[in-house]
Amino acid sequence: RGLAAGPEMHFGFQTVTEEERREKIYHVFETVAKKYDVMNDSMTLGIHRVWKDILIHKMNPCPETLLLDVAGGTGDIAFRFINYVRSVRQRQLQKKLKHHQNLSWQEIFESYQKDKFNSLGDSQVVVCDINREMLKVGKQKAQHLGYSEGLSWVLGNAEELPFDDNKFDVYTIAFGIRNVTRIDLALQEAYRVLKPGGRFLCLEFSHVSNPLLSRLYDLYSFQVIPVLGEVIAGDWKSYQYLVESIRQFPPQEELKAMIEDAGFFKVDYDNLNFGIVAIHSGFKL
Amino acid sequence: KMAAAGGLRRAGWRLWRGRAVVRCQHYPPLRALQASAALRRASDEHKKEPLTSSSQQHFDSPPSDHQPEQEPQGPHPSYTGQGGQESEDYESEEQLQHRILTAALEFVPEHGWTAEAIAEGAKTLGLSVAAAGMFHSDGSELILHFVSECNTKLSKLLEKEQKLVQLGEAEKKPIDEFLRDAVEARLRMLIPYIEKWPQALSVLLLPRNIPSSLNLLTSMIDDIWHYAGDQSTDFNWYTRRAVLTGIYNTTELVMMQDSSPGFEDTWRFLENRVADAMTMSNTASQVQSTGEAVVQGLMGAAVTVSNAENSRAVR
Repeated sequence: RGLAAGPEMHFGFQTVTEEERREKIYHVFETVAKKYDVMNDSMTLGIHRVWKDILIHKMNPCPETLLLDVAGGTGDIAFRFINYVRSVRQRQLQKKLKHHQNLSWQEIFESYQKDKFNSLGDSQVVVCDINREMLKVGKQKAQHLGYSEGLSWVLGNAEELPFDDNKFDVYTIAFGIRNVTRIDLALQEAYRVLKPGGRFLCLEFSHVSNPLLSRLYDLYSFQVIPVLGEVIAGDWKSYQYLVESIRQFPPQEELKAMIEDAGFFKVDYDNLNFGIVAIHSGFKL
Repeated sequence: KMAAAGGLRRAGWRLWRGRAVVRCQHYPPLRALQASAALRRASDEHKKEPLTSSSQQHFDSPPSDHQPEQEPQGPHPSYTGQGGQESEDYESEEQLQHRILTAALEFVPEHGWTAEAIAEGAKTLGLSVAAAGMFHSDGSELILHFVSECNTKLSKLLEKEQKLVQLGEAEKKPIDEFLRDAVEARLRMLIPYIEKWPQALSVLLLPRNIPSSLNLLTSMIDDIWHYAGDQSTDFNWYTRRAVLTGIYNTTELVMMQDSSPGFEDTWRFLENRVADAMTMSNTASQVQSTGEAVVQGLMGAAVTVSNAENSRAVR
């Protein structure tokens, strides 16, 4: 088994081959899928919601944006995107109406009909994930929360996306790129599927430079999180993997360099919470 | 085919070399071979008009603190360091941003100075609407770009007029007429955007933008005085600047409130202010003049307020 596998990689703090890593990660997410959202809330004390909100605000999408959310699993980013675009669209329609105050009542009524079926303004989001279980949970959530239009669910690998070139306006990957085995391939695929002028956004755990905070963060990560994993999800090992994988992930500047290598311009990052999380952004120019 | 690949590689090499980046160990063979998706070869487009000195302002918002400056802020709006060679092959990010902002201006009357206007502008260039994410959502860069372009246009206009005078084809204007015409010409450039201009003024006053907007304003004023030439006015340099800045700002404010046909109230106001300035120059000392420049400003503000009162009363 070891002969056919490939170069050595890290799986958390263990060393494994590429193939093994992919399998192990698939298994991790298969196991945690049902408890994924609950664990996110308890581990980050709900702050992950704020991080995801900040990501969408930074994106500032206008209606008619086509979003590809990779490793989007349970749909957090997708739902927020839809909410944001809907409210922007509403404001647009309101402004249009204000300008039309000299129209006859008939014309106003007709304009309602036209815009009624366009509450999203032609925006769409495609949620792509490699893990069937995560997608299942996501679809159920969508149904439960009442999201139907503008949403698509696709099974796919970030290293080899099943999409054509130059298709999407924005590509996001939130807390997913850490689990990709060949990050450079994922970045190249991101570059490929984006339209010229399109934007790459990556939300991911990163490195804390402040030494005191770093100590506290390590303490919390290694002592508390796996315990929470065992208590809430019944799975110590997956959360041990999670915490270790954060430590193995390249720091902000290195990831920025990798993104530039893939061909993106104007690459920049914003630290959230002193570097616990960072948002990287780049443009395909 | 080999030649093409070689050409691309060289172009990519120059593009990479131009980026003043520290990370030598990340030299990517991939980047050198990849042709850029949207940055065009400079030879493809018609040569743009050379920018004059007054427009080479750097108003792009600086990158976040933790990130070192990638592009040295030199006089050329492109990758410098190698004598501007890189700009021969591919346009720089800044040039592309300029193109997007110029394209966005046509959508300002409808959308205001906003990210929506920039998104529409990007669309006309064949780019994704997400490209508007390169700029601040309050439209700062768009407004500063517009002001800079207007200043450039004014410079060119004044230079042309100066040439005509030098060639003897036109009369040299007396100083008050010159100032009046220059300010009027500059303010007329606002007319297509006049409805949304108050919004722009408030954005220009944001603390973040004040250094850039002040810089643009003073260089425009200096430009006008430069072309006004060596006419004896008894002003010293600082007073001249203050006086003309006062005239320009107050006339601009009056213009915002002006609903007269063809803005004739504004031009009359301008005429009066310039006349006041000329009278001022023939009297007392320079300290007093500077003080009077302040008084002028107050008078302008008072006129604006009284006009606002009148228009409100009429309604």
